Amino acid sequence: MSLTVDERWDLIDSIAKKTITYGRYKETLKDVIGELTVKPMTGIPIAITTMYAFWSIFGSFAGTLFTDGFFVKLFDEHWLPWMQAHFPGAGGWLYYIIVGDPAADNCFEAFGMLTSGIFVAIGVVLPAIFIFYLMLTLLEDVGYLPRLAVLVDTVLHKIGLHGYAIVPTILALGCNVPGVTATRILETRKERFVMMTLLAIFVPCGAQLGIMEEVVPESMGLIILYLIIGYFITGLVLNKIIPGISPEILMDVPPYQKPLLSNVILKVWVRMKSFFKTAIPFVLLGCVIVNVLYLAGFIQWLGSTFSPVFVTWFGVPEATAGPLVAAFLRKDLAVAQLSVIEMSAYQMVTAVVLVSIYFPCLATFMMLLKEGWKELLGSLAVLISVVFLYGGLLHLIGILAGVA
Amino acid sequence: MKLGSIYFALLGTVTLAFGLADLIVTMATDSFSWGILEIPGDMFRGGWGGLVVLFAGLFYLSGARSISDIRQLSKVAMGSILICTLAGCDVFARVTESIPGGEEGWFNTLEGFLGVYAPPYPPVIFLLPFSLVVIYYIRKAK
Repeated sequence: MSLTVDERWDLIDSIAKKTITYGRYKETLKDVIGELTVKPMTGIPIAITTMYAFWSIFGSFAGTLFTDGFFVKLFDEHWLPWMQAHFPGAGGWLYYIIVGDPAADNCFEAFGMLTSGIFVAIGVVLPAIFIFYLMLTLLEDVGYLPRLAVLVDTVLHKIGLHGYAIVPTILALGCNVPGVTATRILETRKERFVMMTLLAIFVPCGAQLGIMEEVVPESMGLIILYLIIGYFITGLVLNKIIPGISPEILMDVPPYQKPLLSNVILKVWVRMKSFFKTAIPFVLLGCVIVNVLYLAGFIQWLGSTFSPVFVTWFGVPEATAGPLVAAFLRKDLAVAQLSVIEMSAYQMVTAVVLVSIYFPCLATFMMLLKEGWKELLGSLAVLISVVFLYGGLLHLIGILAGVA
Repeated sequence: MKLGSIYFALLGTVTLAFGLADLIVTMATDSFSWGILEIPGDMFRGGWGGLVVLFAGLFYLSGARSISDIRQLSKVAMGSILICTLAGCDVFARVTESIPGGEEGWFNTLEGFLGVYAPPYPPVIFLLPFSLVVIYYIRKAK
């Protein structure tokens, strides 16, 4: 059946009459609050409050309730002594790899695959990742994330990105792997390269944040501040030296709405599933590889060979060589290892920042490779320069402040 | 609505004062206690949290004039949302602290559980009931 132009317009009119209600638009409280969250004068205080609530709930749920409240006791008082008493061949190499140090009285010090490995993956990282993704999903489904994107658009343009770059950044705070994947929402090659490089260097994943909250809670603020400053300085430099354009975009901001429970559960589950698939095997494998390298004397060799770099340039003990090797497999594992090395508070801050900005973990490395080998090589070149410059700068700040 | 304007101007002034007190205590000392009131002095709760209280006070003060206007009322509502968020985080922190038993066992004893909820409280907990008055004005505006 074909319609003439007039008939088509008549049909449109009749459908419009049945489906559209005309009236005067009255601004609602929800509309005005939605507007307040995107205007800088009011939106920035709201963003600061949202971030406060995010980290407060993160720390209370993952740190106070689960890790300190139950898992530390479960693993240190029950699981570790049981493993130490029942695993055969105490003192042997297999025992060292699986259970770790037989004299250790807590899971951070033992560093065996089935002691520290399981503790880090289940006792520390799992509750942290769960609460992180739950809150991220709520913010997303309520409609706050697009508003945050509008709010930070101007700032992110200074580093060659636009507001939507906040989505990969926040996703990477959960895990860098989906963060790198999410860079595909950015339009140009330049934007994607800048974003991937910044994610790989300056954005710590949820697992790492969880373990930092556990081992260096008093220095968390300073570490995060160093990473944020580094993120913007490196972004500014990359924006100047990388050729290409960063176009303006139009963003669709949905109205605030009540999140659907079924959607929230599904999203959290999908995100958690990828954690189970990638993180847990890497943590366990990381423990094995680091223990084997210790047994083979490689870590000690690495520490003494690069001692001038570690001690003189970065101002951290040469024993940090081991955690830096582990960081390539899992950064959370590396921070856990750092916690048992004797050093000053400032050295600890520097060492944790170094672990964060040093090489991306293996899973992120593979994702970067998937995005293109040229991008990967470019990111690595930036990364090496940043580690040396920024690591040295932190040491210099420490010397000038009289704490290093 | 005039009464509402006076109420939120007063609440805004008190909230602003508490926010400033939070920041001053954070910069000057560890914490400050007076009776059942305790102003935290750590960087996260006292500093960052204090900044949130300060912002809430500014929202109240900027919205207090002619709150019958939806745009003004929304600023007052935002001040209350900030207070409720911060107080909610404090209450949640106490809930997570009250459940585990620490050295004595897996779960806390009844005395230990209730003890966590005993005073002193931070200023935002005292501001919470006063901030809820905004619900009346939102319903009235509807």
